[in-house]
Amino acid sequence: MSTQNTIMLVDDELMVLTALRGFLELETSYRILSFTSPLAALEALSAEPVDVIVADFMMPELDGISFLRQARATRPMATRILLTGYADKENAIRAINEAGLYYYLEKPWSNEHLQLVIRNGIERSALFTELDMRVSALEHANRELYQIRHRLIQAFL
Amino acid sequence: MTDRTPAPEGAEALAEQVTQARLATLGMLVAGLAHELNTPLGALNSNHDSLRRALEKLQAILADEVVSPDELEEVRRIVRAVDGILRVNDMAVERMSSLVRDLRNFGRVDRAELDLADLHEGLDSTLAILAHQLTAIEVVREYRPLPRIECRPQQLNQVFMNLLLNARQATPDGGRITIHTGTTGDAIEIRITDTGTGIRPEHLARIFDPGFTTKGNRVGMGLGLLISRQIVERHGGRLLVRSTPGQGATFTVRLPLDPAGGRTGTIPDAEVNS
Ligand SMILES: Nc1ncnc2c1ncn2[C@@H]1O[C@H](COP(=O)(O)OP(=O)(O)OP(=O)(O)O)[C@@H](O)[C@H]1O
Ligand SMILES: [Mg+2]
Repeated sequence: MSTQNTIMLVDDELMVLTALRGFLELETSYRILSFTSPLAALEALSAEPVDVIVADFMMPELDGISFLRQARATRPMATRILLTGYADKENAIRAINEAGLYYYLEKPWSNEHLQLVIRNGIERSALFTELDMRVSALEHANRELYQIRHRLIQAFL
Repeated sequence: MTDRTPAPEGAEALAEQVTQARLATLGMLVAGLAHELNTPLGALNSNHDSLRRALEKLQAILADEVVSPDELEEVRRIVRAVDGILRVNDMAVERMSSLVRDLRNFGRVDRAELDLADLHEGLDSTLAILAHQLTAIEVVREYRPLPRIECRPQQLNQVFMNLLLNARQATPDGGRITIHTGTTGDAIEIRITDTGTGIRPEHLARIFDPGFTTKGNRVGMGLGLLISRQIVERHGGRLLVRSTPGQGATFTVRLPLDPAGGRTGTIPDAEVNS
């Protein structure tokens, strides 16, 4: 299963969004979805899955932490990364625990670091997805076993 | 003067507090500006790195002096990316330049302390500096034509700053601040009205007292209005307040059209213990 990985970028600052996008397009072959509106991003999320979400913290419509929390409800497997200015660091750290974020990056960010975090994030969400599949396969097998057992009991007792 | 009367202890302590209050305001503003600068800086920093990488890719393609059709496609892709990156850089540089322009205007760098000034310019540059604090507030400018007046513009900017900050602090997100300017008779009036909490009647008489604050010590020192009133009075004007609790407050700066009373150059430097 080697489809193209999808990265979602959300920042109300077009400048930041375009810089992130430009870098990832230059250096990777990910499919990039970028949004200046977190609400539009949430809508897009309910239409299709993504592997990694990178969201800015300070956005007027919806702050990055609330956005990522809602994103988790829609796409629990996606890895969530917060991008934050230095001034909101304290809030960000608190929220990492609250909203179960994978990582936070400080602005100005290092492209190399970003790329690494995204790569690990993709791996992480792939592992989760696989784990999820294995678990449901196990559950399925388990159910079948029970049914067989049930039939055996009915047939022989 | 040989025998300088020592300032009474109260005045000295007050001057110290005023300095502290200015530093606190400055600290908050600087933090806002640092945050504001961080956006274009982040973009420029990332783009600088991307451009270097793009160049390396192009150099690698050119290294063997042969460009295959596949590579040509890759070159086109890189050129498109570079084009986008440069456009973002334009935006970032423009954003940083305009921030610096706002700062210079507000601080009136390179300009005389005592000057024939356009107060709208002062209001606008103060609003620009406060932009980061005012994102969740609707700001309405009702400017009527004002003559230039002889004044200390940097000090008046400090008054505008204090009044606008107070209005912001009293007004919940989604509220409105209206700045009305105009002339009445022989005076200039600048009214700053907010849709915030307003001021309780029993507080009205005390808000200009040194140290009076309802904001807690981490936010307010209770000196903004005192300093502002002193600056306005040194310009021969008055600072007035009106408020309906629960509906908001209006602070009015009333300045004589000829603040120096015909004698230019006499507006004293506003220090609490000069
Ligand atoms: N626009 C306003 N709306 C409601 N209350 C106000 C307004 N402006 C001033 N006040 C009240 O007046 C008090 C004194 O204001 P002042 O600006 O002197 O001090 P401060 O804002 O508390 O502290 P700082 O020294 O940082 O300015 C405030 O604490 C607040 O209670
Ligand atoms: Mg104040």
